[in-house]
Amino acid sequence: MSFWESMFEHVELARKLRYLRIYFDPQRCVGDWTCYEVCPVGCWTPDMEQHRAIFHDAQRCIACGACALQCPEDAIKLTTPGRL
Amino acid sequence: MATVFMKWLETTPGDYDRGIKLLTLGRGARVQAHITAMVHEGEKVLEIGCGTGTLALMLARQGAMVTGVDGSPTMLRVARERVDTGGLEEQVELHQLDASLIADHFDPGSFDLIVSTLLFSELPPDEQRYVLRAARRLLAPGGRLAVADEVVPEGMMARLVWAAVRLPLVIVTWLITRTTTHALSGFPAILAAAGFAPRVATSYLGGSLQLFIARPAEEMADERPPVPRMTHRITLRSLLVNLWAIFFRIIPPYPKVRPGLYRVGEPNSKSPVLVTGNFDLTVRRVVRQLDGRVDCWLLVADSAGINVWCAAGGGYFSAEKVTAAVKISGVEELVAHHTLVLPQLAACGVDGRQVHRETGWAVRWGPARARDIPAYLSAGRQKSDAMRWVTFPLRERIEMMLVTLGFYGLFILVPLAVLWRPMFWPVTAALCGLSLFYTIVLPWLPGHDGLAKSVPLVCIALAGLYVYSALWGHLPPHSIFNWTVGLVGLAVFTGAELQGMSPLMRGEQANWMWEGVIGTVLAVIYLVGSRLISW
Repeated sequence: MSFWESMFEHVELARKLRYLRIYFDPQRCVGDWTCYEVCPVGCWTPDMEQHRAIFHDAQRCIACGACALQCPEDAIKLTTPGRL
Repeated sequence: MATVFMKWLETTPGDYDRGIKLLTLGRGARVQAHITAMVHEGEKVLEIGCGTGTLALMLARQGAMVTGVDGSPTMLRVARERVDTGGLEEQVELHQLDASLIADHFDPGSFDLIVSTLLFSELPPDEQRYVLRAARRLLAPGGRLAVADEVVPEGMMARLVWAAVRLPLVIVTWLITRTTTHALSGFPAILAAAGFAPRVATSYLGGSLQLFIARPAEEMADERPPVPRMTHRITLRSLLVNLWAIFFRIIPPYPKVRPGLYRVGEPNSKSPVLVTGNFDLTVRRVVRQLDGRVDCWLLVADSAGINVWCAAGGGYFSAEKVTAAVKISGVEELVAHHTLVLPQLAACGVDGRQVHRETGWAVRWGPARARDIPAYLSAGRQKSDAMRWVTFPLRERIEMMLVTLGFYGLFILVPLAVLWRPMFWPVTAALCGLSLFYTIVLPWLPGHDGLAKSVPLVCIALAGLYVYSALWGHLPPHSIFNWTVGLVGLAVFTGAELQGMSPLMRGEQANWMWEGVIGTVLAVIYLVGSRLISW
């Protein structure tokens, strides 16, 4: 793969980066709260009573993907709208 | 811009092969031929670090059953294509695997020959030892090991000649292919320590490229070298590295710390094990916070010399790297617990459950910042929200500004100084002024990312220009026009680039194309507009 091919591939990635967002399925959440532990901008809060996490403040989300990678139940996805 | 630069830095498989050919002055092929002549039909061969598969294919054509492992998916993709076109799928099996993980993936005694070229010189000594021991276990009775690598020649004169020839070769090769290699020293001793009886089968280029053939020895020395201690010290080296890191952090070679296990203070078997990446500045900043406050083990994983957050986001700091660090270090011999404390910002790249699955060590996510580690540990590994959340305070914004200015100084100001002298000082002043202003007001500018934030920056810059021109400068129309175009360009550029490349600002990576488009439009406006005005 040449430099230009890899550059071209990166154009796609750059486009995607703008539209990445978090999709959370509260049904699958088991209240492990690793998402809350790892989120660097405070998008997650543990809901002690319901024993699950709450995703709030999507505006603040920087789409770093930490919560999605660490979630033990795959309840969190980081993707672009068309891909779900 | 920075993204384009980073992309250019990435070595493609083609680059790598060409780079190696240059560096070994073509002798690599002879070494490969020598190794190929060693195998017999039907023998089982493991190649550690098979790259694009050149040697694996040669061995397979000789009739061997080859298993190739390599850590790089892009290299393996090329190797797979070559195996398919060669019709050797029956004989060649390829795995994406770091060298340090071979022991877990193959049964003991499953290979007659283990080969490896130009791999060991890329590994730190701990890892060399670890991989060699693993290789010893994987060899069948009567099996042998063939390692070809660059070697620092013996003797003062030979070394001087070698260095004088090599340095220009290394620079030229790096510029053409972004590939470089290191050279081993004292490798026979490391082979012996790992339980091999080695001999040098052949050597090229004045002894700087050697092929070692080794058979497992009867006895195996099994001494654990002492764990080195890290302290917070300011030395000439640390000052120079800091100075380099202030301006040229994103230009390789990144200052690195040798990955491995270190101790801070006087840790014992109950002390915590903290993990971090191997960027020199990162390690020193962590040690600075710990030394004198906490006794702990510091496990430095290989993050390619990149800081934790960027390395995790970019795929350089991963579960595989942490797993390898745990296994190679043998840290389980030293502590009674099985808990790793990882930096929270590694969570976007290191899969904690995967580390747990592969090592049996539990992962705890420590604070985002090194300065909070002592408080986090003394609170029984509990974090407050302040320890979790990342902010971008003025001090760090200024650091980021200097890093960016250092980079653009090279890529904009140096060419200007050479090609367009009269514009050097005005552009320098505008770039520094805009950067400093942007750095200070960043949190109060509306918008979510740098490109949006550059709109108010453009407005402010232009307002400044027009006010100055109306009140004091009385600039002629063509000059106002030129400055307008130039300032818009610089302001968009500053806005989009200066936010840094951390995920915090969903940064420059998503914006560089827009910068390109806006830059092109501005260039067209400038070319057409300046003609119109003079006409």
